Amino acid sequence: MPKLIIDDREIEVPAGTKVIEAAERLGIKIPRFCYHPGLGSVGACRVCAVKFLEGPFKGVQMSCMIDAKDGMVVSTTDEEAVNFRQYVIEWLMLNHPHDCPVCDEGGHCLLQDMTVSGGHGIRRYLGLKRTYHDQYLGPLVQHEMNRCIHCYRCSRFYQEFTGYHDLGVMQIGSRTFFGRYQDGTLESPFAGNLSDICPTGVYTDKPSRFFGRRWDYQRSPSICINCSLGCHTVASGRYREVVRQEARYSEAVNGYFICDRGRYGFFYTSNEERPRQALVDGKEVSYDQAIREAREKLGELIKSTGPDAVACVSSERSSLETQAMLKKICQTKGWQGPHYFLDESMAQKVKSASSRLESGLAVSLRELESADFILVIGADPVNEAPMLALAMRQAQRRGGKIAVIDPRPVSLPFEFHHLNVTPNEVNLCASLLVKTAVDLGAATDLEQPGIEFYQAIPKLETVSSSLQEQIAKVAQELKESKRPIIVCGTETVRQTTPALAADHALLLQATNKQAGLFYLLPGANSFSASLLASEDGSFLETLEGIENGTIKGLILVERDLLLHFHDRQRMELAFEKLELLVVLDYVNSRTQQRAHIFLPTSTLYEAGGIFITQEGRLQVVPRAHLSGTPIAQVSGGNHPPRIYESEIPGGEPRPGWQALAELVHEEPQPDENTTRSSVLNGLSELNPAFATIPAIDELPEDGMRVSSPEESSPRFSLDWIHELERKESPDKSLELVLVNWTFSTEELSQYSPPLMKLEKEAAVFMHVDDATSLGLSDSDKVTILLDRGALEASVSVKENMAPGIIVMPRHRLLEWQKIETLPKFVSHEEIKKVSV
Amino acid sequence: MDHNEDVIHPMLPAKLRTSLAEHIARVDHPRELVVDVMFAIQDQFGFLSDEAVEEVAQLLNMSPLEVEELATFYTFIYREPVGKYVIHVCDSVVCWMDGYESIQDHLRSKLGIEMGETTSDGLFTLLPVCCIGYCDRSPAILINKEVYGPLTPEKLDEILENLRAQG
Ligand code: SF4
Ligand code: SF4
Ligand code: FES
Ligand code: FES
Repeated sequence: MPKLIIDDREIEVPAGTKVIEAAERLGIKIPRFCYHPGLGSVGACRVCAVKFLEGPFKGVQMSCMIDAKDGMVVSTTDEEAVNFRQYVIEWLMLNHPHDCPVCDEGGHCLLQDMTVSGGHGIRRYLGLKRTYHDQYLGPLVQHEMNRCIHCYRCSRFYQEFTGYHDLGVMQIGSRTFFGRYQDGTLESPFAGNLSDICPTGVYTDKPSRFFGRRWDYQRSPSICINCSLGCHTVASGRYREVVRQEARYSEAVNGYFICDRGRYGFFYTSNEERPRQALVDGKEVSYDQAIREAREKLGELIKSTGPDAVACVSSERSSLETQAMLKKICQTKGWQGPHYFLDESMAQKVKSASSRLESGLAVSLRELESADFILVIGADPVNEAPMLALAMRQAQRRGGKIAVIDPRPVSLPFEFHHLNVTPNEVNLCASLLVKTAVDLGAATDLEQPGIEFYQAIPKLETVSSSLQEQIAKVAQELKESKRPIIVCGTETVRQTTPALAADHALLLQATNKQAGLFYLLPGANSFSASLLASEDGSFLETLEGIENGTIKGLILVERDLLLHFHDRQRMELAFEKLELLVVLDYVNSRTQQRAHIFLPTSTLYEAGGIFITQEGRLQVVPRAHLSGTPIAQVSGGNHPPRIYESEIPGGEPRPGWQALAELVHEEPQPDENTTRSSVLNGLSELNPAFATIPAIDELPEDGMRVSSPEESSPRFSLDWIHELERKESPDKSLELVLVNWTFSTEELSQYSPPLMKLEKEAAVFMHVDDATSLGLSDSDKVTILLDRGALEASVSVKENMAPGIIVMPRHRLLEWQKIETLPKFVSHEEIKKVSV
Repeated sequence: MDHNEDVIHPMLPAKLRTSLAEHIARVDHPRELVVDVMFAIQDQFGFLSDEAVEEVAQLLNMSPLEVEELATFYTFIYREPVGKYVIHVCDSVVCWMDGYESIQDHLRSKLGIEMGETTSDGLFTLLPVCCIGYCDRSPAILINKEVYGPLTPEKLDEILENLRAQG
């Protein structure tokens, strides 16, 4: 490890560290524009000049381009270096407008900081400045090209880092222009990061434009709950609403960036239609009255029918505290549930993922970047968890090979092998691939069941010869890899797949590979839900209970059944049978509108809370601000009303856990922090896995992994092989595969106005062979007859997907909830072309 | 990734398109041919239109932006119509020492246009260029890729006369 001296202080850094980084470790921030730790060095802007006094380099050099070496003596304050930097800044400012007061970057602008700190205060250049036309770049990013200092961060980020190619640099010399070929919406789902990384105001956050300066905002660390990865963010709030969200660095999770769903998924919290008042039969009442009435009604119900006439359902977007509180209540009161999953098969998949994620296998999102082979089993990264695609791209840029086994028309911003087999073949294909790549002779200490598992995998000849060829080719790359990682989805795979993925990772480990395992789960807090979920009873049984009258009261906590359940009509009928429907939520969902008693809960930003990522990483989110109607909504754009009150208007919502505690306990409840601590203290009684978690204020920055007690599920099960024998698909019918899209399907981001503008038209995907035999061509409109009626969508015909399926997004604007049972098959007769 | 899901209406003559496509099919990394393809189309049409940029992108499975990045970087790719004779005046250091500015001034007044413009008869376009490697003949210019130099205003007059005579 080289040791060097910077500004008279010695520091030792790992080999390969740039001098600019070494200085930063000493707390010396050398000016920089083009250098970004996430993107690396290019030496384009010349503002990081320092003077090398001793060592292998001498004189003024760029600190971002030079590796720290033993014996270096560096000065950042040497007059020559200081002057050099000052001139560079002056020269960058030649063309830059002098109008910081009207620039939305002002206040968090690197150029502004550098200009002031670099000592360039008086403008000497009196000539004309070069100007550009700005472009329309879509709803997220505002373009103001006159502010550009040509550091190239944006084009490097956009093209090299994210792998999208519709933004870059054109022209030369003083005409150099950063933007798109033509005006239009940026295609990358990571485009929002441009606003973070541009050191000036060329790209700024459009939805929050001119809302405030950075110093006006209450900035608070937060995490994203728009998918299961839990990327780190900074929430900026002002006047009782979150107005902007930026990426926050996380060593283990997301690095420097986040996706646009995460960045702009927060609008639900300040949604104008968000119900902030407690309601009884649709009428606004005080919180306490609603609680009182709910308690009374529950009491009557229980008195007449017994405690098991009440059932509870929560969701994967509730915090651990809320999920756990509900669980505790059900245990003590004898109520049914809670169910966190609607689909039993999904509950099993998540359970098997969370229990099979042993600490020897689990890898973080960042660790995935250094894999030399990634095998994706049943996942569509850009659509399900966009930042996964970005991490995979970094692995691929470093030479890693990537193979995706998935029936969907998966598209990724890099080269990869796509084995687009049918949903039934996914397990087989993955197993054949691993079997072909693994030489059992080389396997050290593989247990007997592992050997049997290996031997039970069918022969490669069981699949078509073209698939054999593909598998053989990919298997060779897997064989040569040293650090392979298996990524396994849960949305579209069979129930046995998550366990199978873990077994394959073990097989790879047994052949001396440093294999890793990475799951995707359906929601932000699925992992936590699965640690709390009880073994017995399913949501479906509860539903049947409602239908046959044994369950009369239902408590829904942050769960929109009419959105998520696949049979909306059945759900609505069940609601009608209920004597009492209590809903606790922070969004104005369809379900919320059906409640007899509604209790508003506070959002993540207002309550804070604990979420456990798909990797089992428990992360604590602090509260960003107190609940209250945004001032903009109270004042209608004018000055806020001058009314003196001790309460915050619209401040009724309470954290889910607190509202629940009040709902069941007669005696006055302690404040929400005390309630929270008591739930957290009791966690290990609900699942011993929580016993290892320290007090939440002692948790490290990146949270920590909870692993469920090992040996909880058996390794090397052969269930998947029995599943192969079952031929599910009735002849000539197409299996309906419900999927998620980057925008338009995820529940919370559906309330985001800027993201709505990015939604693609709801279309179903079909393999070209199926389309041909149905007489359909691309963009045709069809009606698809489901169990509860037909729905209309346009068809997108694809070659790069499996035949025999219809891929249907759970699109906000598509009423897909017309399905009696899953899996659902649609016959050819049920698909009709709509003639125009 | 496929950058060109929407098919663009072809503007190229079928023959040129086929020959380009064949050429592209023979190489491992199609995008290495982007400059050649742009030149081939420019030779046909005299300049590279927006449609041409999009067509190049489609032929090479690149995004139009990536083609535009290169098209606007290279001096000899013209993104607008140019005159019959394109005069590139070298403005790099040796030509500067030897007085390229007077050459440029002379051309501007003689042709009655500014740098970057084309005469109204469509004969001449004036453009700057950086060092063309004929420093030994500085000040030097290129006219339709042919070098002239060392130049004096008199020699320039003669050259322009000749070209005018050829029409
Ligand atoms: S637009 Fe911003 S990020 Fe891009 S080159 Fe200009 S200053 Fe740098
Ligand atoms: S990848 Fe997922 S967790 Fe990360 S920012 Fe995007 S939606 Fe949020
Ligand atoms: S930061 Fe070093 S040259 Fe730009
Ligand atoms: S400087 Fe003009 S040709 Fe070299």
